[in-house]
Amino acid sequence: MATHMAEPAAGGADTAIEHLTIEDRIWLLRAMLLMRGLEERAMSLYRQGRVPGSFYDGYGQEAVSAGAAFAMGPKDRLCILHRDLAAHLIRGVTPARILSQYMGRAGGITRGRDGNVHFGDRKLGCVGMVSMLPDMMLVATGMAMAFKLRGEKRCAMTWFGDGSTSRGDFHEAMNWAGVQKLPVVFVLENNQYAYSTPLDKQFAVDPVERAAAYGFVGVTVDGNDVEAMFEAGRAARERALAGDGPTLIEAVTMRMHGHAAHDDMKYVPKEQVEEWRKRDPIERQEARLRSAGVDIDALRASIKAEIDAAAEEALAGPMPDPATAVDGVFCEGEAEPLGDGHAPWSGFASNGGDV
Amino acid sequence: MSSSPTDVLVDVTMPQMGVSVAEGTVVGWRVEPGDRIEAEATIAEISTDKIDTEVPSPTSGVVAEILVPIGETVEVGTVLARIATGGNGVRQSPAADKPQPLDGGDAGPAATETPSPTSPQRPAATNGDRRYSPVVQRIAAEHGIDLSQVPGTGRGGRVRKQDVLAFVEAAPAEEPPLHTESPYRPEPVAPAAAVAPAPVVDGGLSRMRRQIGQHMKRSLDTAATCTTWIEVDMARVQSARTRLGVTALAFVSRACIDAIREHPAMNAWLEGDRYTRHADVNLGIAVSLGDDGLIVPVIPRAHELSVEGLAARIKDIAGRARSRQLTPDDVQGGTFTITNPGQYGSIMATPIINQPQVAILDFEAVIKRAVVVTDADGNDSIAIRPMTILGLSWDHRALDGAVAARFLASVKRNLESVS
Amino acid sequence: MPTLTYLQAISSALRDELRADDRVLLMGEDIGVFGGAFKVTDGFVDEFGTDRVMDTPLAESGIIGTAIGAAVVGMRPVCEMQFSDFISCGFDQLVNVAGKMHYRQGLAVPLVVRLPSGGGFSGGPFHSQNPEAWFMHSPGIKVVAPSTAEDAKGLLHAAIHDPNPVCYMEHKHLYRRVKGEVPSGVFETPFTARVAQPGSDLVVIAYGAMVPVALEAVSDGLDGASVEVLDLRSLVPLDEEAILDSVERCSKVVIVDEANATCAAGAQVAALIAEKGFESLDGPVVRVATPDVPIPFSPPLEQAVLPGVDRVREACRELLAY
Repeated sequence: MATHMAEPAAGGADTAIEHLTIEDRIWLLRAMLLMRGLEERAMSLYRQGRVPGSFYDGYGQEAVSAGAAFAMGPKDRLCILHRDLAAHLIRGVTPARILSQYMGRAGGITRGRDGNVHFGDRKLGCVGMVSMLPDMMLVATGMAMAFKLRGEKRCAMTWFGDGSTSRGDFHEAMNWAGVQKLPVVFVLENNQYAYSTPLDKQFAVDPVERAAAYGFVGVTVDGNDVEAMFEAGRAARERALAGDGPTLIEAVTMRMHGHAAHDDMKYVPKEQVEEWRKRDPIERQEARLRSAGVDIDALRASIKAEIDAAAEEALAGPMPDPATAVDGVFCEGEAEPLGDGHAPWSGFASNGGDV
Repeated sequence: MSSSPTDVLVDVTMPQMGVSVAEGTVVGWRVEPGDRIEAEATIAEISTDKIDTEVPSPTSGVVAEILVPIGETVEVGTVLARIATGGNGVRQSPAADKPQPLDGGDAGPAATETPSPTSPQRPAATNGDRRYSPVVQRIAAEHGIDLSQVPGTGRGGRVRKQDVLAFVEAAPAEEPPLHTESPYRPEPVAPAAAVAPAPVVDGGLSRMRRQIGQHMKRSLDTAATCTTWIEVDMARVQSARTRLGVTALAFVSRACIDAIREHPAMNAWLEGDRYTRHADVNLGIAVSLGDDGLIVPVIPRAHELSVEGLAARIKDIAGRARSRQLTPDDVQGGTFTITNPGQYGSIMATPIINQPQVAILDFEAVIKRAVVVTDADGNDSIAIRPMTILGLSWDHRALDGAVAARFLASVKRNLESVS
Repeated sequence: MPTLTYLQAISSALRDELRADDRVLLMGEDIGVFGGAFKVTDGFVDEFGTDRVMDTPLAESGIIGTAIGAAVVGMRPVCEMQFSDFISCGFDQLVNVAGKMHYRQGLAVPLVVRLPSGGGFSGGPFHSQNPEAWFMHSPGIKVVAPSTAEDAKGLLHAAIHDPNPVCYMEHKHLYRRVKGEVPSGVFETPFTARVAQPGSDLVVIAYGAMVPVALEAVSDGLDGASVEVLDLRSLVPLDEEAILDSVERCSKVVIVDEANATCAAGAQVAALIAEKGFESLDGPVVRVATPDVPIPFSPPLEQAVLPGVDRVREACRELLAY
């Protein structure tokens, strides 16, 4: 049985142009540059001993989260995973809070209660991930279920990896979403490896084909083309809001760093890494925008300044007070639902922001 | 170029590359002491169990010293090198926010504290073959009961809670007098009706009795105890207390507190060589527990209370003492004690000082006597006045007879000028 | 005041909540059209529709996980596990996603999981469990266990109103055997213990189906002794004050657990008493519990392991005499 390897489908970017203004396209690059810059800075801090625990990044797959999240509206809800930092940035989480979160400071989103990317700003409509990764697929399905029951024109988006497709919750979520025809977008980040496990040890069938098995549409997208990712997300959202059910987007990409900072990925063939380096998502978007006359260097400089300021702010922040370690296990007041996030895509502005 | 004394030195430390990694080896240095380096530029290369990687410099500056040579393996957090940044101030180290080790460390705020037993005086937990459960011991201590006297109806003759409670109830129910009044009793007490001779008690003293005895003996052995007496005309106190509805003891307490203001030497502790005078007057009032003994609960900061306030507090602590509801805090911290056993008509005593205090005042009966009074013109006559004799035992190590006498004179003056 | 069975009281609570609050949603297998395996939701679909009384796919993790999603966007889902035993299939979602969410992210998960528990009817190892201890041990989850019809309704209302995940342990054995007066309408029973019967010589501490067992065991007076029965009602939070008050007055304690003995709820109560009630004890803390075995199917085997009236009575007698 042939397994689907690193061959991304063509297309997607052409249709995207219809829906993206030049500002949108710059925004997409900004989100990716900020994600990569922040993760590089955080990695440096990690090597300086200032980031406790483990450190994970999405180097080389920034387009998967930047593109898909950019298609989400303010009232949509997101379950974001550990290599999807751009999604948090697009929703409005600030770089300083992210670095504080990595360093376990009181100013982090979880105030030191969970580490690295295990965070979600509930006020911006993001649910914080758990380490049992595909669990979040069911939460997103449940959010979509509520939207449908209440007749609301909103959707939920959830990210997960190739490894997650082997677990029961993947199947329960896909099945549930298909049976109830729910407005949920499943973004499968096929980055070729789950820690050290390659695809041919993970599944016998390319998971995009599983969508049909559960009764809905599955599409394969070049995960390193941020505009194609946006288009796939936008189309999936449109389908969801029209009442036509879920979509599985298989974003084909490559994890360019190890599983975590402590993994040097020696099990990945050098040629594979080299081949994917040529398809770097940031370089590709920069090339597009350069030919559209955008000043890339100025953009990069402003991102660097933003990150420097964020690092300074985060480093100045206090560690959490140990006396608070046992607080907040239970909610003592009213249960507040998730709030709305930012949605910078111009398509939302022209629709009055209420798409 | 070496660092100047005003340079800020920033540490470069061995990072933790992965949750389970505890050490790393330096495999390369990109700099030598004296080299300039920029922040984020690679300064060293390290190797760990999980990964080989580069260490970026935490700051810009000049390398001041390299502490760990190539090939050496050190623990996570060890300072590898120092960089001088040319600023003034305290040396900085990222160790301030270094992650704590995952195992070890404090128990943290969630650790529960082991409770300490609250009752200071306990009968023995075992007596030969007998063992006593916590609740049985507690009840016995509260009532001063010797558990060896209590018959047990539990398994194997065990003393159950019901057994010790029954024992308490069967004990003579006579209410011990409140050790606080000294009413006027001019007539002798009527002789008691003829009773059979009291049975011989032959079983040793109760634990509480023994403890009190030890405390008294220790006091006499420690202090150089002397006693001084003074007579006081209580007429004004008698009329005031009738008017206010409070005990004479409350007036005596207030008078002592005021006198202590003038003679602070009376309100002190002497423990071995350590002598402490106290600003607060924490007033101990001796309360009798009947045959079982004596206890001295303390009114803290008694100087803040009026006569009525003192009367209320005295009533409260005496009541709680008798119903065994005093806490350890209630009997601590006293700086001066008053004992008032005047119920039966005795007129003088030689009280024993309550260690580590330096004085104790004894207030006995108020008795109508014929005394000489002098009028404003200097004419003497005989009058009938309610008189009492106040006795002050005091520690000659801490003060002299003159001080004691002056104190008593102040108390007398205060009581005789009550309005 | 109407007299309802324990099961009718549960139905009544669910019905009143569905009427009073648009956000309430029932989810479970076979609860809609079929009316539920035990008929708790019989007839509900006619009044509330299949959207609000949802027949889910056979997916316990799916039920809990989607309920979490619905809860964080403003609904009040009440999930049913057809048998409490099946919660193990949804354990991960309940413990790792729901239980930890507020502590980590400040995001409340107002979720109720109804867990029909307990044995005594030859249900065998997979239909007879009392799994509450697993969730007492998981931070962020509350656990309640009614023993009377009134508490069955009041605790369920309170659980649905609570902004946290709550495991509601409804005991199958009590469904039709326990009746009582139950107030109408929406009312809350607090998450505290209740003195089912006051006493002074010994206290039997129990919850769920073991409360009627305890009451029966001490009903013949036990040679004139005055025995208290304390119904815990709430396991998380555990009513420490009530437990220690009973212990102080009675000094002798028998704890009854239908769950497997090791690390059961009663073990936590015993530890609490040893730590904070030591000074009041006149005897060892005695536990009567099911031994650490899967619940067997054949009646003589099942009766031998579950704590019955005779075992409880015997334990009380022995401790009273100590």
